[in-house]
Amino acid sequence: MASVTIRDVRKSFGAVDIIKGVSIDIQDGEFVILVGPSGCGKSTLLRMIAGLEDISGGEIRIGSRVVNNVPPKDRDIAMVFQNYALYPHMTVAQNMAFSLKLKRSPQGEIDERVARAAEILGLKPLLERFPRQLSGGQRQRVAMGRAIVRDPQVFLFDEPLSNLDAKLRVAMRAEIKALHQRLKTTTIYVTHDQIEAMTMADKIVVMHDGIVEQMGAPLELYDRPANLFVAGFIGSPAMNFIKGNVGSNGFKAESGQTFPLAAAPAASDGRPMVYGIRPEHIRLTDEGVPVEVVVIEPTGSETQIIVRPAGERDKPVADHSSAITCVLKDRIAARPGDVIRIAPDPKSIHLFDESGRRV
Amino acid sequence: MNLRKIVHGTWMAFCVFLLVSPALFFFIWMLSLSLKYEIDNGAYPPILIPERIAWKNYAGVFESNNFLLYFKNSIIVTGGATLLALMVGVPAGYGIARMRATKSAMVIMIARMTPGLSFLIPLFLLFQWLGLLGTLVPQILIHLVVTVPIVIWIMISYFETTPLELEEAAMIDGATRWQVFRNVALPIAKPGIVVAFILSVIFSWNNFVFGIVLASRETRTLPVAVYNMLSFEQVSWGPLAAAALIVTLPVLILTIVAQRQIIAGLTAGAVKGG
Ligand SMILES: Nc1ncnc2c1ncn2[C@@H]1O[C@H](COP(=O)(O)OP(=O)(O)O)[C@@H](O)[C@H]1O
Ligand SMILES: [Mg+2]
Repeated sequence: MASVTIRDVRKSFGAVDIIKGVSIDIQDGEFVILVGPSGCGKSTLLRMIAGLEDISGGEIRIGSRVVNNVPPKDRDIAMVFQNYALYPHMTVAQNMAFSLKLKRSPQGEIDERVARAAEILGLKPLLERFPRQLSGGQRQRVAMGRAIVRDPQVFLFDEPLSNLDAKLRVAMRAEIKALHQRLKTTTIYVTHDQIEAMTMADKIVVMHDGIVEQMGAPLELYDRPANLFVAGFIGSPAMNFIKGNVGSNGFKAESGQTFPLAAAPAASDGRPMVYGIRPEHIRLTDEGVPVEVVVIEPTGSETQIIVRPAGERDKPVADHSSAITCVLKDRIAARPGDVIRIAPDPKSIHLFDESGRRV
Repeated sequence: MNLRKIVHGTWMAFCVFLLVSPALFFFIWMLSLSLKYEIDNGAYPPILIPERIAWKNYAGVFESNNFLLYFKNSIIVTGGATLLALMVGVPAGYGIARMRATKSAMVIMIARMTPGLSFLIPLFLLFQWLGLLGTLVPQILIHLVVTVPIVIWIMISYFETTPLELEEAAMIDGATRWQVFRNVALPIAKPGIVVAFILSVIFSWNNFVFGIVLASRETRTLPVAVYNMLSFEQVSWGPLAAAALIVTLPVLILTIVAQRQIIAGLTAGAVKGG
């Protein structure tokens, strides 16, 4: 096991800058998730850590060793690929034993380690099968088995669950997390799914367009997003953003309504701002802001409603600019077209300035 | 629905028949020729299935004309040229595919398109100077002009389709460049190698131009020997057709036997799938 230190790392493909100066400190044994929209450079960064891509600038250390020019085979890392990349001509057992064979480990040790990994992952009955004879979930497990037999310094995962169906994904999520708690190996895990990130990570690194937008513990990012991007990316359904400015008795939205504020930030009068409120932090009260119900989506455990400021009845349905999503714990009797009153919880308000930074 | 299926099937069968019938016709006619006595062969109207079968045509081929020697020569020349081509062409195809060296691929293509005869005269002089003309070595070497480009081109396209992730996984597992090739790329490319092998054998086996120039009486290959039957002795169609069929037979058997190998998609299940 080892720490991983990424210092001002850059990557360009030709003239295109893909990673634009990223620094991340990963502690020994930490489970870090790189999350961000598709194309933001997560895989590229992970592949640089693995040694599959050259590093255009900056420095990557595994433990105390700078690995910029160390080939992948000497980095002592293991990687699980999105499409698993199992060797099709080898059985499950041979797939798992391959790295140990290359290291010329004694046969007894190889057998023992493969058996142990198979035990942990429930692969015992599949050891003699070929990858083409396995289901998606089983292949995924073999790919993980291939990683853990080696007992490497660092595990790298690149969207390992994205080829599984929703149910299996939730199950594997828990399994990977349990595996990490058992092995305590430093793990860097890439996903575009913020729920995966929130549920599994010790630390989340939110990436966007080749830079790190924010990093921190999952709930830290949820409670105090540093900017509009993180605020909109973390949390599901996404945070509502309302444009307007801070007035004397609350936040004056462009639609003319006033939303409550706990405390107005200093010297903010009149400047354009964005008011952020998560759907789950909105309640219904008789004193709230009047809005018109557009859609109601009950899921059983909760009710999601999409509303618009009252009086915008004639706006096209597709115009979501002023729509607000609310998630309520209770079932409500309202129907589309009804006017209800909503009240954001003043303690859970996020304010962002013109440049998108949190104030 | 069912009727449509039947109509569709019949139509397909008809089209397939139309496409293969010229080749099939020649083959059947040759078979017929090889089983008839000379009298029947000259008969008009032509006889397809004779009343008396002339097995002696086949027996004659084996008895006369040093047939077994020529057969052995053919095997050595084709086998040698194919094995050498695989040894050179498979790694070369891998290198070209992985380094995206399209220019070298084009150069090889040009070598393939150049008429064989243009290599022949300088090489003939070279082999004469080296004193190799009485042996099979010149023919093996010159067949490489045909077999190496075939192998390289097939292997390039095959290696290009094998997923890069597999090799990356192997690199991370601790494999050197050579081990990646030896333990991952090569076994996965087995169906491609089989195809390259078969085509190389077919082209080399059927090659005739090189042999006619380079071969002496003791180093003839089968196609050359059959040609000599045609030119020097009186043309007797029965034995000639029998000889030609015997020449074709090994290639035919090889193709049929290896067909399964080709179809067995080894990469299935390597990546994703469900
Ligand atoms: N080998 C490459 N050559 C050129 N561009 C690349 C290459 N690999 C990735 N890119 C580009 O880099 C960007 C980031 O890719 P990637 O790291 O795969 O994103 P992510 O994994 O976050 O979805 C994409 O715009 C992609 O097109
Ligand atoms: Mg990716």
